[in-house]
Amino acid sequence: MKIIVNGNEVVLDKEVVVKELLDKQKVSMQQYVTVQVYDDIISRDDFEKIALKEGDSVEFLYFMGGGAQ
Amino acid sequence: MSAIKANSYVDITDVLCPITFVKAKVAIEELEDGQILEIKMNGGEPLNNVPRSLKDEGHKVVQVEDHGNGTYTVFVKKGDL
Amino acid sequence: MSFTNDQLERYSRHIILKEVGVKGQKKLLKSKVLIIGTGGLGAPAAMFLAAAGVGTIGLVDSDNVELSNLQRQIIHLTKDVGKPKVVSGQETINEMNPDVNVVTYQEWVSSANIIGIIKDQDYDFIIDGTDNFPAKFLINDACVLTEKPFSHAGIIRFHGQTMTYVPGQGPCYRCIFKNPPPPDAVPTCKQAGVLGVMGGIIGTIQATEAIKYVLGIGELLTGQLLTYDALDMDFRKIKLPLVKDCPVCGESAKIKELIDYEGAVCELKQN
Repeated sequence: MKIIVNGNEVVLDKEVVVKELLDKQKVSMQQYVTVQVYDDIISRDDFEKIALKEGDSVEFLYFMGGGAQ
Repeated sequence: MSAIKANSYVDITDVLCPITFVKAKVAIEELEDGQILEIKMNGGEPLNNVPRSLKDEGHKVVQVEDHGNGTYTVFVKKGDL
Repeated sequence: MSFTNDQLERYSRHIILKEVGVKGQKKLLKSKVLIIGTGGLGAPAAMFLAAAGVGTIGLVDSDNVELSNLQRQIIHLTKDVGKPKVVSGQETINEMNPDVNVVTYQEWVSSANIIGIIKDQDYDFIIDGTDNFPAKFLINDACVLTEKPFSHAGIIRFHGQTMTYVPGQGPCYRCIFKNPPPPDAVPTCKQAGVLGVMGGIIGTIQATEAIKYVLGIGELLTGQLLTYDALDMDFRKIKLPLVKDCPVCGESAKIKELIDYEGAVCELKQN
């Protein structure tokens, strides 16, 4: 199964939920990552419930501070 | 002499590119659509470029007069942008 | 208002542009942009807005210039070390363009002062150049509540991101990032480092958004997060959804007052 993560194709051998994808992509501090699937922002409570489907477009959005100091 | 009655006049013989076009553009932006700007300019680079740039912005060059001394008067009708 | 010959020459490259012209340059000279944070992002943003002839620029920062700032905060010079950043910024802008009126606020933004600062000059556009999440959420909420457009940005290491909020035209920062991370959970530039040019690239994009907003031209980064990876030299625009139940800009928004979040320990002196 192929999905698109942050613009890059990711091949998965089986269907996964959001949490599993975050693990697979070695995303640290998952509780601070915003996950968007197409036009929906996934609630963190649903990371273990929402399964990703073939061809889904997923974006991991990260907090980014920095700027002044 | 020209039969064209201009609504405004600008002399750009004393400045160089790109201020030539800038001064002409400032003058024409102050007019209403359809009004005429009379521009006195030098031959050569200004005559080659200023009318063309004004045309690119949608204005119409209606007449060019050669004064025979290296200067020209160009009449431009303000277009609807 | 008509241009002096010096102004015609100074702004000639703008005036020549069909999309700017005389009218656009006059709009810029009448415009007012508030820059919160005069650092990595705010410094280049302020300089390009000043060069462009934005008539009033507000600078907010409580800090003094430190030597470690100079690797990226190009509005400050070596001789400015120890000086308040807003004073150093004001001096640089004054030397660059006498058409610009610089208003300085030597303080940190908080729920107590931010609305007053925004209303002080009734700024047209706000640039978030801060380095911490309490300030970023505060700026977002203040702009939503006062119906002001603003540009969000963040930079760290070789990464940057920016989005533009325009009231009623797309999501706000809180639509995407509901709440700030706990203090110290997410590294700041001070802890993680940042390539000096990142602020130049992203801060200049913020200035571009401010100019486009003032001129009313082009497409803004509303509903879009632009991310930049300098190592891969990769720009991406991520389309963002409007979140109907956003706690501050949503249909039944719960946040009606500004919140002062706790800052990271290493940033405590700011709060």
